[in-house]
Amino acid sequence: MTIRKPVAAQRARPFTQWLVGLISSEYLVFGLTLLLVALLAPFTPGLVSIANLLNIAGYLLPLFIVAIGVTLVMITGGIDLSVTSVIALTSVVGAKLISADGSATPTVVGLVAMLALGAGLGAVNGGIITCLRLPAFIVTLASMMFLSGFAVWITQSKNIYNLPASFLALGKQLSIALGLTITLALCVQVVLQRTVYGRWLYAVGQNPTAAYISGVPVRAVTFAAYVVSGFCAALASVMLSARLETGSPVLGREILLDIIGATVVGGTSLFGGKGKIAWTFFGVLFLTVLDNALNLLNLSQFAITIAKGTVILLAAVLDATRHRLGRQNA
Amino acid sequence: MKTIRHAILASFSILCLVGCSKPDSTGNAPNGARKITVGVAFETLQTEYWVAGFEAIKTELSKLDIAMVEAVADSDASRQLQQVKGFITRGVDGIILVPKDAKTCIPMIRAANEAQIPIVLFNRPADKTDAISTAIVADNAKLTQETVAYMVDQARKIGSKHKAVVVLGDLGDINAIGRRDGFEAAIKGNENIIEVVSRVPSEWNQEKAQAGVANALQANPDIDFIFTSSDFLFPSITSALKAVGRYKKIGEKGHVILGGFDGDATAYQMLVDGYLDATGVQDVYFEAKSAVQALIDMREGKKLPQLIIDPGFVIHQGNLKESSPRMWGANIKKKG
Repeated sequence: MTIRKPVAAQRARPFTQWLVGLISSEYLVFGLTLLLVALLAPFTPGLVSIANLLNIAGYLLPLFIVAIGVTLVMITGGIDLSVTSVIALTSVVGAKLISADGSATPTVVGLVAMLALGAGLGAVNGGIITCLRLPAFIVTLASMMFLSGFAVWITQSKNIYNLPASFLALGKQLSIALGLTITLALCVQVVLQRTVYGRWLYAVGQNPTAAYISGVPVRAVTFAAYVVSGFCAALASVMLSARLETGSPVLGREILLDIIGATVVGGTSLFGGKGKIAWTFFGVLFLTVLDNALNLLNLSQFAITIAKGTVILLAAVLDATRHRLGRQNA
Repeated sequence: MKTIRHAILASFSILCLVGCSKPDSTGNAPNGARKITVGVAFETLQTEYWVAGFEAIKTELSKLDIAMVEAVADSDASRQLQQVKGFITRGVDGIILVPKDAKTCIPMIRAANEAQIPIVLFNRPADKTDAISTAIVADNAKLTQETVAYMVDQARKIGSKHKAVVVLGDLGDINAIGRRDGFEAAIKGNENIIEVVSRVPSEWNQEKAQAGVANALQANPDIDFIFTSSDFLFPSITSALKAVGRYKKIGEKGHVILGGFDGDATAYQMLVDGYLDATGVQDVYFEAKSAVQALIDMREGKKLPQLIIDPGFVIHQGNLKESSPRMWGANIKKKG
């Protein structure tokens, strides 16, 4: 008995190390996605067919774009709850501008207006948060309500149709959406990894006081993250509006959980200071594939929602565990 | 890290293997013949009406031995488009769709048209489009007008001028617009009996309906006529009425003439208990049967009209006994 104990302990140690390694791995969620597909594909008609993969991509790309912006905000330790309302407002403003029933301005002008409005709304959020030092949660919650109400008011709840073909092409041709998304994702990842701003962003998220003392312009860095978040939401709005051929004052109202959830599932820390665009992609991919596969399995929406909620909760627990492990190792 | 990489590689290998063997997308009948499969996509299942509609479609399909695959979009039009495309990928033989609204469903109809899969819209029609579909819809405006006309008659019998509140739905929903228009049409010409003092925008939200009616009662304590665009808002309205001691039975002093639309279980119970004057009932069984029949007809190449109208009916204290078997809410209530 006395001899066996240390052997068991020795066996347990590699397992613990393996478990810690697995939890800490940045490819965990991607691995889980592949495992999910591998496990479900034999029972799920058409899950890995080309048509379904294209279908998943069409739904995933706008979500990923919004999540990119949210990732930056979360790296600073903040949160942006207003992204869905930015999507709705930019959708109706853009559609009003370019619709044949509206002022029929050129598509390019409408697009620029949408993106500028998105960035501007992000700037308002960022400005209030940094200048008035208010919690991001409250500020973006308030702007979510304000912008959502404003979108409904200016349209009187009516959707806007008759959008020009040049605009609709952005939703119909997956290659355009894919190109835009990849370009944006790569640019933001390069900024995060290779620029001073990227390092500042992580520093602000890890410890804003220490970052400030070290000379990081904390306010400007945080402000810029919200501007990017607003811009990304507007870009997603372009894709969603084009995909649905409609400017809608309730566009994206129901996807906030998916956006924040996917970002957290990917591994971006709720506590700030940690996150990568690739992780966010893995999170969005995982939740989208899960949703799609469970749908194809013909499970009820109640079961799907419960499954997604459970996954997001597990991801939050995992994040807390990683955070604790990180502290212990530090 | 090595272990994880190996796990990923293993998953990839399995993925490649299963990817090569594409499973059958539809069910098969016991005799080996291919069973027809219909995809049923609902925008939401958050109210009794939609659940009753969903169950009625399920029953109709099962009567005809048609397999069903389902999807609920949780009020997200983009997700619903993905779900409809998912049905097409699976190779379903027909699609029954409850769209979020009249416009965002057009790309879904187009996708079904391109795949040459018949598509029927349940309870909500599409806006004007070149995309081909058939919609089964209640005549919201007409049925509301008849319901409110009955309420106006009750007010006329009482004699005095009534102050009215109308609880509107989400005006992005074409059905809500029809019900609003039906209400206004019924009031027009009866202004000597009914004065509309408040139009509450509920956006199909119970909290907003409750707050709106409570505010209206605060501003006009003598309100005695309330019409709601959907029965599912009755709990909010009765809560606001109870708070000011105005929830009274028909015939009692201070009774508020109440009317609604849908015909759900709450409305049935209120009719039985004598609190509700009338409600416009959407004939969910007619709509489900017509939707399934329309799909079958479309598969057989028959040309159908763009709209198939559910005439519905008004149920009130005078016809409660004979009409309740056709009221879906009554059947839910009786089943317990």
